[in-house]
Amino acid sequence: MTYYLLPKIIMNIWYFLTALTLLSALMTIIAKNPIHSVLYLVFTFFCISGHYVLLNAQFLMAVNIIVYAGAIMVLFLFVIMMLDLRKNMPDSKSNLTKLAGAILGGTLLVIFIGTMRKASFNQATILENYTSQTGMVESLGKILYRDYILPFELVSVLFFVAMVGAVMLGKREAGERNF
Amino acid sequence: MNSIIALSLFGIANLFLGFLNNRKILMPATLAFILFALGLNLADWNTEVLWFNNMLRTNNLSVNFTTVILVATLLVVAISRGFGDDEEHSHPAEYYAIMLFSVVGAIMMVTFENLLMLFIGLEILSVSMYVLTGSDKRNLRSNEAALKYFLMGAFATGILLFGVALVYGATGSFSIYGIGNFVTENRMGQSEITPMLYVGILLIIIGLLFKVSAAPFHFWTPDVYEGAPTIFTAFMSTVVKTAGFAALYRLLSVSFVGEYGKWVYLLYFLCAATLIIANITAVYQQSFKRMMAFSSISHAGYLLMTVTSNQATTQSSILFYSLAYSIATVTAFAVMILVSENKTSNGKPDESFDAFKGLAKNNPLLAFALAVSMLSLAGIPLTAGFWGKFFIFSDAFKRGLILDLIVAVLMSAVGVYYYFKPIIASYMKEGNIQEITIKPIYKLTLIITTILTILLGLMPDLVKSIF
Repeated sequence: MTYYLLPKIIMNIWYFLTALTLLSALMTIIAKNPIHSVLYLVFTFFCISGHYVLLNAQFLMAVNIIVYAGAIMVLFLFVIMMLDLRKNMPDSKSNLTKLAGAILGGTLLVIFIGTMRKASFNQATILENYTSQTGMVESLGKILYRDYILPFELVSVLFFVAMVGAVMLGKREAGERNF
Repeated sequence: MNSIIALSLFGIANLFLGFLNNRKILMPATLAFILFALGLNLADWNTEVLWFNNMLRTNNLSVNFTTVILVATLLVVAISRGFGDDEEHSHPAEYYAIMLFSVVGAIMMVTFENLLMLFIGLEILSVSMYVLTGSDKRNLRSNEAALKYFLMGAFATGILLFGVALVYGATGSFSIYGIGNFVTENRMGQSEITPMLYVGILLIIIGLLFKVSAAPFHFWTPDVYEGAPTIFTAFMSTVVKTAGFAALYRLLSVSFVGEYGKWVYLLYFLCAATLIIANITAVYQQSFKRMMAFSSISHAGYLLMTVTSNQATTQSSILFYSLAYSIATVTAFAVMILVSENKTSNGKPDESFDAFKGLAKNNPLLAFALAVSMLSLAGIPLTAGFWGKFFIFSDAFKRGLILDLIVAVLMSAVGVYYYFKPIIASYMKEGNIQEITIKPIYKLTLIITTILTILLGLMPDLVKSIF
């Protein structure tokens, strides 16, 4: 298998981005301060957007930055600041839970690494089918509104349920709480 | 497909009906909507249509599953009493609308041809359930249940989605037949398989087993079923389970049948584990509602057994079992709602077995309906549940799932013990329950479900020949 079908510079960018993504994702869960954690998460999203560009999906890159890094993360930050979670919470998990979690997560990691090592990607066919227009809005729109029109429309039911539910649950109720 | 469109529109119509100041119109309207959707659904009988670029398939199997789901919904709506007893704090229009939307998701899960549709259907169903679980806002248990369900459900959805992505990466297709063809060709050595496919299958199975609450992914079930308002517990335990198993069966039998030898062992042991854990734990429960939660886990175990056997008769076994189970569960919860509201302890409904003490003296109908539903869930002959178990056991026997069969028979015997607790309490214990007044439609529902349970127990071929 030839590994250098792609220009070397692209490969180097890819390695750099991947290392950065992994690092910032790790920092997201390691960071003690929730605000730092969210900022690392924003950074992770930017790195993933970089990957989208390398994967020839420019539109997704823009959407990812606008929606995730922009809207959702700002909302996230807002909530954390309003709730003032900065004071360190006592660690409620027992050591046994942590150990079990570490073992499970580690096993999953080993499985994924093993899977990806064995996966064979036929680069010749990938290059054969390559068109630079894949990730453009035009081709995406054609696929979305022609092939995937039904899921696209039915997602609106999902959002509608979420909206109705949020309004219903969010409305303030008078009266006592009970158990 | 037609019923999906109709129910989506009816859901919106229901929200607008909520603007009227007349709450009494909501329940009859919802019943009419569901009946209309049922009619549209049955009109598709004996037609085979692929909709919108192979996104959905309508055939007799999907019509059957949709019918079971709609009938279960119809029964639950019929015992909802319009959610009218608490004028200030209930939002019946929203409840009914969300129920209709969730049925849209359930129908998508039984008709899907494309994994995207499965995912969206599952999400519509799950999100509706999270909301309905937390709909009793002033009850802390309900809040806790909703949050728990939401967090765990979101993880399960993530795992399922990851599985779908890996399967797509390995096979290059979202369509279940496309994946099936790839896997079968693989068996014959025409294309190269990657381990990615196996990890994908594993993750998808985990995601779906979480939704149908099979062990070891069942830990949310007792808390959520207990915390949710009882009417939504009934809805959850019938509709979600039927849709989940339909999806699991279709996926495994169409897409991954070529790799049967790989996933059969996983389900083989999970099925035995589910049966043992659920039934043994159910014995120790004091609350009827919690017992029903573990009972629903154990029924997931039985259904898993027929999915594991993967026989030609599996689909009709799942259908019959789901129908019998749904009817009996709705009856049991319907009786429980009346009895527990009648007898409060510490200001909240008493949901323990003690609440049923002496029920038969003044309320013979309620006690009889409860007894029949419990017998059906336990699988005693002359009830629908017996035949459900019979068909499932014979599927498993044909495949030779000996361990599962032994465990299932033993656990059915354990089941008899805890299902008889409420019957004994209502018929043989002394208690002081006065006569409970029942609304006509509620009474009618109880009578219909009881008759159906006995009728299907006497003549299972009535519906088995259709499935």
